[in-house]
Amino acid sequence: MSIAAARIHEVPDDLLSAIDFCYQQGWTDGLPVVPPVVDRVDAMAARDGRPPETVIARHPATGLTLSLHAAATNAMMAGCLPEYFPVLVAAFEAMDRPDFNFHGSTASTGGSAPLIVVSGPIVDEIGMNADVNLFGPGNRANSTIGRASRLILRNVFQMMPGVSDKSTQGNPGKYSFCIAERARDNPWPLLCTAQGYPDGVSSVTVYAGGGFCNVENHGGNTPEQVLGAIADAMANYGCITLGQSVVILAPEHMRIIGNAGWSRERTQDFLFTRAKRSVDGMKSVGKYRDSEYDKQHAAGAHRLVETGFLHRGMGPDDILVTMGGGDAGGHSCFIPSWSRGRGSLMQHKAIGASANSN
Amino acid sequence: MRLYDPTSAAAKRTLTRAARLADLEGKTIGILDNGKLNAIEMLREVATLFEQRHGCTVKGVYHKSNASAPAPKNTLVAAAKEVDFLITGLGD
Repeated sequence: MSIAAARIHEVPDDLLSAIDFCYQQGWTDGLPVVPPVVDRVDAMAARDGRPPETVIARHPATGLTLSLHAAATNAMMAGCLPEYFPVLVAAFEAMDRPDFNFHGSTASTGGSAPLIVVSGPIVDEIGMNADVNLFGPGNRANSTIGRASRLILRNVFQMMPGVSDKSTQGNPGKYSFCIAERARDNPWPLLCTAQGYPDGVSSVTVYAGGGFCNVENHGGNTPEQVLGAIADAMANYGCITLGQSVVILAPEHMRIIGNAGWSRERTQDFLFTRAKRSVDGMKSVGKYRDSEYDKQHAAGAHRLVETGFLHRGMGPDDILVTMGGGDAGGHSCFIPSWSRGRGSLMQHKAIGASANSN
Repeated sequence: MRLYDPTSAAAKRTLTRAARLADLEGKTIGILDNGKLNAIEMLREVATLFEQRHGCTVKGVYHKSNASAPAPKNTLVAAAKEVDFLITGLGD
């Protein structure tokens, strides 16, 4: 939507009536939205620094485009503050890359939702939650950035349930699925550093998440025990594919792993090695395919790939692992990739890197 | 109160259908396999019916690396040059 082509609706100067109007237009996710009043949307879009008609993402199948102006309109409706806007913009610029497969991951019966993981100093600057109730409600930035991405998918890219969004069941993350990486007491380099961004530069990682699997382990006291439970969740028959993984370690679990001196890379290696099923096991549930096995075991396969087994992912680098959540509780989580594997690959991007100012 | 409309206008691109074949007799078929579990089996079955009923011939089998992404343009361009019509389908 170019700013010149932006359509403006005149509605009675009454907030509740304006909220009702938004419902009547079919602009909401089922919850009330903040009416996108012109001056506030303009202020949101101006936060980026580029012209509001700048296109930041394109739908590969329909040709629909997302401008900064349209992103700002939906961000405001979701309840975002202007300082959140650079995160949302970077997230969609990352989703715009072909390997994310924007169309498939939002249209498929698999029902994935774009998980947004924010890393770096912007987390505290805009007041995101990386701590207790990480995936739950209560924090404005987390909730509204995630919600804005859904409103954009619905309103701009027209991914309408039952029409172009054919999710069989969907998942709760389709309302909002945005978290921050916890820096406090994190023994590992933050994701933004591991991804190669300079000091002080924050990043956003986007991932087509197929749901949420809580991994409870209050008895394990070694990295092998804690990670063994997580690997088992990753390898469950309902989830195992060649797809990527996101693992968010509870601080309680991370303390065990960090105190034992395990690095992120060693942790990834362990998870990849253990998150596997035998060929016979895969056949027992009807999910074995020669083509997938051959792909994983072809020349150049990762050194940890074991003959006779199908691992989750193609190698340890397919597992994003970091820490988040409250201090208490042995509850980590595994988030499977969308549907059957490698149809969408996670992407990351520096926040604010494309803007002239913010 | 003045509200921006948050929805997109229709995409600015023109899509046209290929001209309909006058008949199917003796035509060449391309199969576009999307890689789903049973796609190639289902599509070959469909092609067999065209062979039996209309004397068609399967001339090319094309593949998508990702079932849910649009077919690469060069794949479609090549198919358009090599065959008279293309069969595709999900095959789940």
